[in-house]
Amino acid sequence: QQQSTAVPSKQILHSDALEMEPETMETKSVSDYFNQMQMGSLVSSS
Amino acid sequence: MDASSILVSMRDEDQSFHVRYRMEASCLELALEGERLCKVGDYRAGVSFFEAAIQVGTEDLQVLSAIYSQLGNAYFHLHDYTKALEFHHHDLTLTRTIGDRLGEAKASGNLGNTLKVLRRFDEAVVCCQKHLDIAHDLHDKVGEARALYNFGNVYHAKGKSICYSGADPGDFPEEAMAALRKAAEYYEANLFIVKEIEDRAAQGRTYGNLGNTYYLLGNFRNAVIAHEQRLLIAKEFGDKAAERRAYSNLGNAFIFLGEFEVAAEHYKKTLQLARQLKDRAVEAQACYSLGNTYTLLQDYERAIDYHLKHLIIAQDLNDRIGEGRACWSLGNAYTALGNHDQAMHFAEKHLEISKETGDRSGELTARM
Repeated sequence: QQQSTAVPSKQILHSDALEMEPETMETKSVSDYFNQMQMGSLVSSS
Repeated sequence: MDASSILVSMRDEDQSFHVRYRMEASCLELALEGERLCKVGDYRAGVSFFEAAIQVGTEDLQVLSAIYSQLGNAYFHLHDYTKALEFHHHDLTLTRTIGDRLGEAKASGNLGNTLKVLRRFDEAVVCCQKHLDIAHDLHDKVGEARALYNFGNVYHAKGKSICYSGADPGDFPEEAMAALRKAAEYYEANLFIVKEIEDRAAQGRTYGNLGNTYYLLGNFRNAVIAHEQRLLIAKEFGDKAAERRAYSNLGNAFIFLGEFEVAAEHYKKTLQLARQLKDRAVEAQACYSLGNTYTLLQDYERAIDYHLKHLIIAQDLNDRIGEGRACWSLGNAYTALGNHDQAMHFAEKHLEISKETGDRSGELTARM
């Protein structure tokens, strides 16, 4: 004695269920900056 | 000036040089430790070291810019967007002052991302444009691609913020649809570049968000094509979290294509990966999606099985809203099976939770 009460799709799925990809944040690194500086000084002293 | 005053002056200079040297070294050490901590994901501790580095101070403005930028990013990851905004803003001002164009582009990109999360979309667009313009001027293809991706994200978020809840994808107000169409255009422009420079990781991210944009635009076939590409790239990288996201998004798209069995298969993969990744919240969402999919397939026994699994996790996580949804769904499924006692039990539980969470529409549904 089943009754058909399937929930309309719009009630079960909404935009909140979407899985977004992460944001890409730009990076500035202190260590990279110093590595570059050292490389620069090595090049200029050679 | 006599000899003794010259000596005193030299000693003062020495001392001042020594203090400055110690200060720079100490600031650098603190910043490097902050950087190391953020790299391993300990943003809270990273913030403390960066703030201490700022307290000590530095005369090297490139170092200061890197500290501001990383502090902004750390606060962004900690979801403290007001603080993130503050430091990315400091970084932007500094890079403009010293004429560091690449640094200015990066600061603009980060500021744009932060403004997007704060739903200040118009300001975010200005930052994205600045990021794009500088990258273009510097012939920086990577930067250009990233700016286009950020642009897509801003318009996607703007479109989604206007979507009326309850409306089906593709059936949103024109303003929302226009923003979503713009998002798709920016993602397509980004894809053109990241394919050219063969950046597969970036392609993966863009396909994922493009798929979600097509989904909201009601173009479910294109959404499936994009998410399948995302899935392929996630597998190439062994990126399980991205794979899980792709399966979940594919499930959503197949629901709207009316292919419920296929949707269920994708949600089952989502569930399997969520368990592998030990992500209980996502596991709960996958159970909920599976319960709903089996409801659509009118297989109410299986629907109940998944809704009960969802209910247990929601209770474990103290997620009262999730618990309310599970109870409502269970009441619905038991009604379909003609089990009125269980249907009433869950309907009452749903009413109780709706009252507690202040969910007026849930309360009204429960009373019906």
